Amino acid sequence: MLTFSTRKLLLNRRWVLVALVSVLVAAVMGYVATQEIDPLDGGSFLLNTLVLSFLLPIMALVYGASMIRNEIDDRSITQVITSPMDRRMSYLGYYLALIVVLSLMLLVIGTVGWSSFYLVMGLEKGALDLLASYSLLLIIGSVVYSSLFLAMGVVLKQPIYLGLLYAFVWEAFVGSLPGAIGELTIIHNLKVIGSDLIDHGNITEVTGDPVTASLALAILTIGLLILGAFAFREKEVP
Amino acid sequence: MSTSIVRAQGVSKWYGNVIGLNNFNIDIGKGITGIVGPNGSGKSTFFKLIIGTIKANVGELAVLGGGPWRNPNQLKDIGFCPDYENLPMDLSGRDYLRLVGGLHGMRGPVLERRASEVLSIVGMTSTSNRRMGGYSKGMKQRMRIAGSFVHDPKLLLLDEPLTGTDPVVRKELMDMIKALNRDLGHDVIVSSHVLYEVERMTHEVALIYKGRTVASGNISEIRGLMSNHPHHIILEGENMTNLAKSLIDRPFTVSVELRQDRRSLTVEVLRPDEFFDSMPDLIRETGCQIESMRSLDDDLESVFRYLAGW
Repeated sequence: MLTFSTRKLLLNRRWVLVALVSVLVAAVMGYVATQEIDPLDGGSFLLNTLVLSFLLPIMALVYGASMIRNEIDDRSITQVITSPMDRRMSYLGYYLALIVVLSLMLLVIGTVGWSSFYLVMGLEKGALDLLASYSLLLIIGSVVYSSLFLAMGVVLKQPIYLGLLYAFVWEAFVGSLPGAIGELTIIHNLKVIGSDLIDHGNITEVTGDPVTASLALAILTIGLLILGAFAFREKEVP
Repeated sequence: MSTSIVRAQGVSKWYGNVIGLNNFNIDIGKGITGIVGPNGSGKSTFFKLIIGTIKANVGELAVLGGGPWRNPNQLKDIGFCPDYENLPMDLSGRDYLRLVGGLHGMRGPVLERRASEVLSIVGMTSTSNRRMGGYSKGMKQRMRIAGSFVHDPKLLLLDEPLTGTDPVVRKELMDMIKALNRDLGHDVIVSSHVLYEVERMTHEVALIYKGRTVASGNISEIRGLMSNHPHHIILEGENMTNLAKSLIDRPFTVSVELRQDRRSLTVEVLRPDEFFDSMPDLIRETGCQIESMRSLDDDLESVFRYLAGW
């Protein structure tokens, strides 16, 4: 189940999109590297703004919301739901495959951007730590966002619209507002964890308790996983 | 019929305002059973209820003794070949069977052996390493059927397996389905909207129409019901007035309507076979000259309407 779903996602033509995005990120980061900026602050700023805050939720939406939903719509899900596997376990298989693929792609994009930036700028001490920290944040983010968008794809017929609204309005706009409401977004909690790991760039401006943020994300992920698995078990597929 | 493998009592299923099955009752025994009905009659809905991808709104459905909804364990014993395209086209035939077998918990050499065996049964060994995207319609249909029994289930559900195939492939598939029961012991429920096709595979048939079973049992009994359903027959020619007078006296005639031009009439007969048998005598006795004769009720749809009492 995990192997099949992973292979299916990896063989998808959306790889072209990932390649284009990687080139774009590399171009932007390569260009910024030619400007007079602090190498570590600049690298952190770009990885935060381009990859963590923007591409992570968008790619999680594109892959997560469509993963099960597309299979329901084109009815290729028949093999899975007519096998003697508990549907909740099948759902877990989809989820794990999504995390693997999403993390892999984001890590590729992040690493390509990072390489481009420090190729131009020259490798700084601390740049590798920066890449490692953002990579960890991208993996944590993939785990959380995947649980959200995968569940959305099971529950909603057109998950992409609500997903876009969520990503742009709630995560991007509300998440940037000062005060308590901004703390209710996934991205804020990811940045809180990031601010504990990273000492450079605008991510350090985010304040909060990393333990509480980690706990909040863990509870949200588990809750959404349970909800998604339950919804999938109850789903009628005509 | 012997032991029941599928039993539905008062099962109804609706999708919003659309009724899929309506107070549906059926009792299916071992062997091959044909489900015949026109498009939209509820055949696929019935199969999806059996396989548990949808649940009945009301009624009792027992499949191999258990309820199908939320019962994944039961799916070890059921194989399903849907009436729609669901093959992953980027996989080879063999990889597809590996996938399906894997989903059914088969692994390693057991799975490899079984995949080869199934490919041989459906006659796809030589092309099994090609991508399924390049397969012909008949080959895809074989692979869909192969995928449905790779895990060696007791019960096979084949939803319209012959649709869209040419006559040669159709015959091969019909022979294969018979062999799946005769040689490998699978009980098979196969649907079609063509009675003739089902008749070539089995004598146990259920006719369904607008979500209800309108007749079930041995094909010869059903054929009897069908041949006895009233027909409206239009006759055109000369001297039709005499023919109309003679027809009224016949025991199989329900009514006769002579048109104003006296060149055509519509006769409603209870037993069409008797009517057609008596036509040579009627023509000789009345001296009429028949130019054309056609039945308005000779299609399966009208038989279903009659059996459903509509």
